Amino acid sequence: MKIVILVKQVPEADKVAVDPETGTLIREGVDSILNPYCEYALDQAAKLKLEFPELNIEITAITMGPPQAKAVLYRCLELGADKGYLLSDRKFAGSDVWATSTALKEGVMHIEPDFDLILAGKQAIDGDTAQVPAETAEQLGVPQITYGVDVKLNGKRVEVKRETEIGYQVLSVRMPALVTMSKGSNIRRIPSMKQVLDSRSKPVETLTAADMNIDEDKIGLKASPTQVDKIFAPPAKTGGEIIEGSDPKVAAKKLLDYLVENKFIKG
Amino acid sequence: MPTNIIVAEKLEFAPFDEIKSIKGEMIISESYPSYLVDESKISGGHAEWLFFPTTEKEIVSIINKMKEENQMVTISAARTGIVGSAVPFGGAVMSLERMNEVIGIGFDEDSQRWFLRCQPSMTLNEINEYVKFKKCGQNQSIPPESDWAEKFMEECTMYYPMDPTEMTASLGGTICANASGARSFKYGPTRDWVRHIRVVLGTCEVLDITRGECKAEDGIFVVKTAGKELIIKTPYYHMPKAKNAAGLFTDPDMDLIDLFIGSEGIFGIITEADVWIKEYNAQMSCVGFFKDEEDAIDFVKLLRDDKNLSPEFIEYFDNHALNLLRDKQKIDPKFVNMPNIDKDVKTAISFDLAYSEEDIEKVFTQMSVILQECNSSLEDTWCVYEDRELERIKHFRHAVPEIVNNIIAERKKQYPSIHKLGTDMSVEDQHLKEIMKFYHDSLKEEGLEYVIWGHIGDNHVHVNILPRNLEELKKGKELYMKFANKAVSFGGSVSAEHGIGKIKHEYLEIMFGAEGIEQMKAIKCKFDPHCLINCGNIFPRSGCV
Amino acid sequence: MLEVDIEACTGCKVCEKVCPFGAIVVVPETKKAKVLDNCTLCGTCVNACSFDALSIERKAISEEDLAKFNKVFVWGEWEKKDGKIVIKNVALELLGKGRELADKLGESLAVLLLGKEVEHLAQNLIHHGADIVYLCEHELLEEYSTDGYATVISTVIAAEKPSVVLYGATPNGRDLAPRIAGRLALGLTADCTGLDINENRQLLQTRPAFGGNIMASILSPYTRPQMSSVRPNVFPKPKPDENRTGEIERVDVNLKPLSIRTKIIEEIISHEEGINIEEAQILISVGRGIGSKENFKIVEDLAKEVGGTVSGSRALVDLGWLPHPQQVGQSGKTVAPTLYIAFGISGAIQHLVGMTSSDTIIAVNNDVEAPIFKVADFGIVGNMHEIIPEFIQLLKEYKQKN
Repeated sequence: MKIVILVKQVPEADKVAVDPETGTLIREGVDSILNPYCEYALDQAAKLKLEFPELNIEITAITMGPPQAKAVLYRCLELGADKGYLLSDRKFAGSDVWATSTALKEGVMHIEPDFDLILAGKQAIDGDTAQVPAETAEQLGVPQITYGVDVKLNGKRVEVKRETEIGYQVLSVRMPALVTMSKGSNIRRIPSMKQVLDSRSKPVETLTAADMNIDEDKIGLKASPTQVDKIFAPPAKTGGEIIEGSDPKVAAKKLLDYLVENKFIKG
Repeated sequence: MPTNIIVAEKLEFAPFDEIKSIKGEMIISESYPSYLVDESKISGGHAEWLFFPTTEKEIVSIINKMKEENQMVTISAARTGIVGSAVPFGGAVMSLERMNEVIGIGFDEDSQRWFLRCQPSMTLNEINEYVKFKKCGQNQSIPPESDWAEKFMEECTMYYPMDPTEMTASLGGTICANASGARSFKYGPTRDWVRHIRVVLGTCEVLDITRGECKAEDGIFVVKTAGKELIIKTPYYHMPKAKNAAGLFTDPDMDLIDLFIGSEGIFGIITEADVWIKEYNAQMSCVGFFKDEEDAIDFVKLLRDDKNLSPEFIEYFDNHALNLLRDKQKIDPKFVNMPNIDKDVKTAISFDLAYSEEDIEKVFTQMSVILQECNSSLEDTWCVYEDRELERIKHFRHAVPEIVNNIIAERKKQYPSIHKLGTDMSVEDQHLKEIMKFYHDSLKEEGLEYVIWGHIGDNHVHVNILPRNLEELKKGKELYMKFANKAVSFGGSVSAEHGIGKIKHEYLEIMFGAEGIEQMKAIKCKFDPHCLINCGNIFPRSGCV
Repeated sequence: MLEVDIEACTGCKVCEKVCPFGAIVVVPETKKAKVLDNCTLCGTCVNACSFDALSIERKAISEEDLAKFNKVFVWGEWEKKDGKIVIKNVALELLGKGRELADKLGESLAVLLLGKEVEHLAQNLIHHGADIVYLCEHELLEEYSTDGYATVISTVIAAEKPSVVLYGATPNGRDLAPRIAGRLALGLTADCTGLDINENRQLLQTRPAFGGNIMASILSPYTRPQMSSVRPNVFPKPKPDENRTGEIERVDVNLKPLSIRTKIIEEIISHEEGINIEEAQILISVGRGIGSKENFKIVEDLAKEVGGTVSGSRALVDLGWLPHPQQVGQSGKTVAPTLYIAFGISGAIQHLVGMTSSDTIIAVNNDVEAPIFKVADFGIVGNMHEIIPEFIQLLKEYKQKN
């Protein structure tokens, strides 16, 4: 059985900010990491591989990004992937969701055309769009299940427990299919020294647009329907009154007074 | 050529009235209570004055005034110490918080090393931020006419390797405490990283000391002050070979700077210091897990004796510490994403290695041999190297002390006088297994709740006894004394890194005897003739004046 | 591709300074700008360059072609409440914003209403601003499915050529919209917090990125329709006008069972009382300061006393203490109650983006530095475990007295 993991290298989103004076991103001390939701997807794949040794599951990690994005492939290899592919080309520059999913689709078709299951993170913590996996599934022509928390294999079908607005639903679909993963019981594992060592001898390949025979008109800025017009800092916030150093009784009274005064509690 | 003679500079007094200050015990205890406590959490701190000097001239003016008023002066900066050194019991608090700037960056051509010159209240975090991100201003070269600040911009990433866990500690405080920490295993304590200091003495004069320029001759220093020549005799006692932060440093031909490093501020106020910085190497954090404590200790010995591996540090966690982490995992979101620690695991050893991609195979093959010899394996050992992952492991390492403090805080609610009993003792290499067994056996015999973790690479672990009631507190204190005696008999120290401060006087005597303490007092009386500064640290004030 | 005109470039480094991504540098040897691989073609440098040395090649499309597209579409998502089908608030909120956009464009506003028997929802949609309701009813649309819904909506879009399509960024909306964008090769901007029409009659879409640390405005200049998703509670719900009229246009739906590839096996409702946090007027929200699962009891008591609903931060969901439908924030729900009381929530940016549009925010936290205080109208620095019991006591006394 073949599982493909689509992964993304992201900056640690909580550290990224815009300098309100210059309007530029502050990059100091911001590291690039494997998107946590991709890690959950990888954890899910690794668990399936352990659970079903008879299926000879092979896990292939694919990412698109600049050359330094290779780092996240190494992390995938350390945590259970068998091989990694980096789709990297100046021609991909400026890709939005659609152009990215086009490149990923071409990558999957070139690398692992007879995949059974694609797992991806539900969203990336830099853009938070949650759109690339679904658009990739559409371009590949396979069904998708989003916001999965648990994946079970059942013969030719995959059963996914999915987060909904009110709880969960369990969906079943025939493979090949694409599933995006939320956290659920998956964790961000810590590799062993053995896994780190072994990962160094697993194959990692870089593919350009030409390697995959991708039509240049379908990728990069030219093929991107959306364009960033500008980037700016969110308006600065200043809080209201803050009560400090009060005894809990006094603090509770002040809270009650505030709520009564503002008519949240009616007498 | 070094000499044993040094000349003190006389300073003008700044106008006392212009110094930022707060007066009155009430107002200080009500509005500035944080100046009356430190991380030792000892209670009862109080002060009549609170000063915020910004220059040496203001400092001498304060000392002069306090001498007239016969008031003690307690030096205060980040207050991260855990032996109460910064807690005042009367008199004045001199907070150096406004002396917190980088003076400059220089390069020592003799040793071919970079150094940073700072005011005492720079925190270790601030130092590293300045050095790592090269935040030098153009006029920050030392000496000013050189262009070191510009040249520094072209250097590789550098850092200050001292890491006493609490990175918000001030540089001045860490020098006075000769702070160490996990990484001292490889890099030694703060002492090894101080190039130069300026210190205002209790005589209202300043010594400007650069390492290598003033060394004792047959245990004698001559300090020339305006009034008279001070003859300083270095103490006669022997320093333990093991890691030590208890008492004054001594050696018949010691460097004068070493008398001040680790002196807990009893001679004067450090107003400026140069510390060495070094290039930063990529590191990996590993955690090995062992089902048997003896295996773990064998692993420690093999690892530290291996010249090729050269770990940054080796840290130990006993099964009780691991149980705290196992429980923590259920309630702390930072841990919920981490793998479970196997229930059969009894001991964990955490170690960092500097690494490069080319060496991985060689290093790991070697590690594999050592691990297997100790009934563990590469498969059972965590290994991370990305910055964020390093942070995760660091969090894992630092969580235990925090959990212990929370447990004690809970118990204090029932028994306000309960406190944790945390040891800080080291022994010589060959006694490691013996002392560990002694700790475990004694604690089990007494039926006390305890956790052990710490810097096992330096044979220096922290035994933390968690008394559940006052009777256990008493039992624990007796054990503590037993441990101190045992550690000293194993060539160790009663305080390997925390220092003596105001709470460990009785243990110091086990190491150096009453005579040794008298020799330390004699030096203090020379540098601080009115016995005003940081009284009560290392030894009680009584007997000085 | 970002091109550098080497002749025109003076090496002034302005581009290097303004680039948000560090993707352009002036090479010291040549003193000319060089574009790096991580260039996102955002155009900041092009605007900043005083020497016209930088340009981005973008494809053009004729205004004539663009003008063929008109009408603003909104997906009319509904949900089942107590067995009854009701329109989701977010769909109504989008009608409010859609009306504004349609008026600016001088176009009409239409709703895509899909389901098995949903015609009864149509009038209400018209009262809330719709001019047209495309009614797509079919047996196989009884439950939401990616395949069924994406197929029907793509067909209507292809036939009707709208200029704008808006979706609620609900779990199903976020499942559906990219599927359609992928199929029709369209731009889609997720989780917009601002939508407007610019001077070129383009949809100007503003959204947070990097968890909310920065804002980006996005255009889809060359493709139509322009599609956006918007989280619930971002735009206000319009007041219905019962006198408004509009037309209901029934759309023929051809779907075969086989074309829907996913099968629903089970539906699980996790927590009856707390799931409606998006609609709650008062939210009692807790973060990791709660300390243990047992402490939820007192928070629930408090919620009962003030007539609120319990919600929380992601940390508590990760710990399994709170069901995910009650999670507020970037990876949970966006809420906008009249009163939001945050207990023990430090206020990571990812949390703040999910609740800052609340009318009144009160924060209780023991750390005075907690970022939550920056957005709070009223803050108390203190221990929630001590304050809550005191508060409940006082509130009970107050209620008795009054």
